[in-house]
Amino acid sequence: MDTFLALELIALALTGLLIWHSAATRGAAFTWMFFPAGAVLGLVRENIVAQVAALNLYSYNPLTFHLWAGAAPLIMMVFWSYTIYLALTFSEVITGGDLIGGKRRVLVILLSMVFMASYACLNEAFASIYSMVLWKFQPALALWGGMPVLLLWGYAGMGMIFLITFLLVYKLRIRTVYRAIIFCASVIAIIPLHLLWIAAFRLATSAIG
Amino acid sequence: MNEKDKRPNFFVREIPFIVLLVFWVIYAGIEIIRDRLDLLPSVIPTGLFIIAYIIVRLTSKGQAGQR
Repeated sequence: MDTFLALELIALALTGLLIWHSAATRGAAFTWMFFPAGAVLGLVRENIVAQVAALNLYSYNPLTFHLWAGAAPLIMMVFWSYTIYLALTFSEVITGGDLIGGKRRVLVILLSMVFMASYACLNEAFASIYSMVLWKFQPALALWGGMPVLLLWGYAGMGMIFLITFLLVYKLRIRTVYRAIIFCASVIAIIPLHLLWIAAFRLATSAIG
Repeated sequence: MNEKDKRPNFFVREIPFIVLLVFWVIYAGIEIIRDRLDLLPSVIPTGLFIIAYIIVRLTSKGQAGQR
């Protein structure tokens, strides 16, 4: 089996474990809201970014990925939910906080942002080995393997926007099924907010580039 | 069933740690195998999170970070 296909399948299997953990420790409502919305976010956002040339960001290398959902790799269905879930869980354990319960909520979100930026370093430097992403712009600042520093900012912002939106919807006093649907639909707000977050960084660093 | 019985077992509780560790080892391992040692510092930030997580788990005695 091709190494990269094995990696895609391992990532899907490990996300299954995270869903199990979520259901066992956080409950059905949390799990039904978090992971389906993460899947919608991944599929919609990555298809938009890959296909809308005006955004001038990136597309995915068709020679690298095996499983696709439109112009985005299938793995993007789980990518944002598993990275943000790891960020949330690690941050809660390290700070002793609880996002839903309200304990050290700000600290949990801030540390989740740091985790997301750290994960960006891990994932995007690795991505350069397999040429996973085809960049459409020349980064103003770059790190290992030519990964744009913009990505650290982008991952951190996605963590913050996703978790705050999740919290707002989770606290609505309506049935779980409606909260899950609303959170999935809120992707249409999360995506432009995140693109604005990225645009702000690019504007601020444009003088450097 | 009381609250203690409902707590997930050790394996389930530590799934996020196991998942991150597996990714971390795969990424670092492939970078070494492919002789891309220039990329290896990129694993340090998540490595620090892994160390912090272990320290908290070893020192909290089940009080902090129940998740």
